[in-house]
Amino acid sequence: MRVVIVPGTLALLPEYTSLDDPIPELRKAVDAAVAWLVAESPAAVRGATSAAKRIGAELLGADQGSGPGLLVVANGTATRTEKAPGHFDERSAAFDSVIGAALRAGDTAALRDLDLELAADLWAPDVPALAGLAGFEIATSDIDYDDAPYGVQYWVARWETED
Amino acid sequence: MTLKLGRHSFADDATLMMAIVNRTPDSFYDKGATWAEDKAFERVGLVVDQGAEIVDIGGIKAAPGAFIDAEEEKARVVGFVARVREAFPALVISVDTWRSEVGRAVCEAGADLLNDAWGGADPGLVEVAAEFGAAIVCTHTGGATPRTRPFRVEYDDVVASAIAETTAYAERAVAAGVDPAGVIIDPAHDFGKNTFHSLELTRRLEEMVATRWPVLVSLSNKDFVGESLDLPVGERLTGTLAATAISALAGARIYRVHEVVETRQVVDMVNTIAGRRPPQRAIRGLA
Repeated sequence: MRVVIVPGTLALLPEYTSLDDPIPELRKAVDAAVAWLVAESPAAVRGATSAAKRIGAELLGADQGSGPGLLVVANGTATRTEKAPGHFDERSAAFDSVIGAALRAGDTAALRDLDLELAADLWAPDVPALAGLAGFEIATSDIDYDDAPYGVQYWVARWETED
Repeated sequence: MTLKLGRHSFADDATLMMAIVNRTPDSFYDKGATWAEDKAFERVGLVVDQGAEIVDIGGIKAAPGAFIDAEEEKARVVGFVARVREAFPALVISVDTWRSEVGRAVCEAGADLLNDAWGGADPGLVEVAAEFGAAIVCTHTGGATPRTRPFRVEYDDVVASAIAETTAYAERAVAAGVDPAGVIIDPAHDFGKNTFHSLELTRRLEEMVATRWPVLVSLSNKDFVGESLDLPVGERLTGTLAATAISALAGARIYRVHEVVETRQVVDMVNTIAGRRPPQRAIRGLA
């Protein structure tokens, strides 16, 4: 089965559309990954917050279902820079690099072991949705986006699980 | 309604900047700054760079002054229209004239829009617009003779008069064969009006918008702004922009202006507040 991980930025919602897209590259990667996901099967949404679930539902539209595909809406910390929503926290980069490495490796055990209290400190309320992926055996992993354009760490990841 | 200005079309929700380009030695605001043809041409380039969709080229100042016959008016504008047409194919060219003879000559030279600031004083103008597929601006003057100042003019209801006169003109234009998508109405602030009239038209502009004809407003640095604030020409931009904001909220579509950049910002900001235009680029609080 396929699993896609996209960030929970509200800029993905149509009610927050600008004339000039502030996240053009991210949106392109998100749209392509979601298309890849639903090309195989309908997908269920997983998110730790109501906003994350809303974003997932919006992205899937009519392709939202009970699975087996999975769309996980989650991102890293929002404390990467002085201008970040949560201002700068020096612990942020290291925490994100652990998540980034786990996503790249498809290492769901590493995601399970993330410190959720630290995540909350670093303005990363969606991280529990990543921790909840524990148990999936990942066969292939592609990272299509890995950046923090507004001081918030985003990834777009595509996984295929072992059958 | 979709606007069709000669060879150019604009979406339903588009607002348009019409930049004033005078080929006159004596207009009230620029006092002949673009009287020399090359200066006028430079101004066209400037306002295009500033984002104006339309230029409004005029060869006779609106206020009383030296008599300019049709031959002289044509000498001032026709060749210039041809030059602008050649250099700026995507630009809407409007010509501010009430004379059908001048209208015919500028349409032959490539004008898209006839801005009849004197409310149909020459009944042949609509036929010229129809013949050339040009758009037309139908203004309200209360029956004033071209190039006269208002003197003790009164209305029972100036807005009702403006609606009745401009929509009758618009229907006459359509009956003459002008494409309805290219018929615009303009309450014509200050024309045949005192300051109280122009203020009331501004305050009640939504009634003109409700006619469904696209509304043009020409507010820029006018006397009703100057008298409201007791400020001379040259110090009326802030007042002009306040009137612009009110007009934008009411739903005016075209703004005839001296200052393109400032007006565009005000119109965009008001339409963004009104929810008719998305922000240019919003990420605050969303990331």
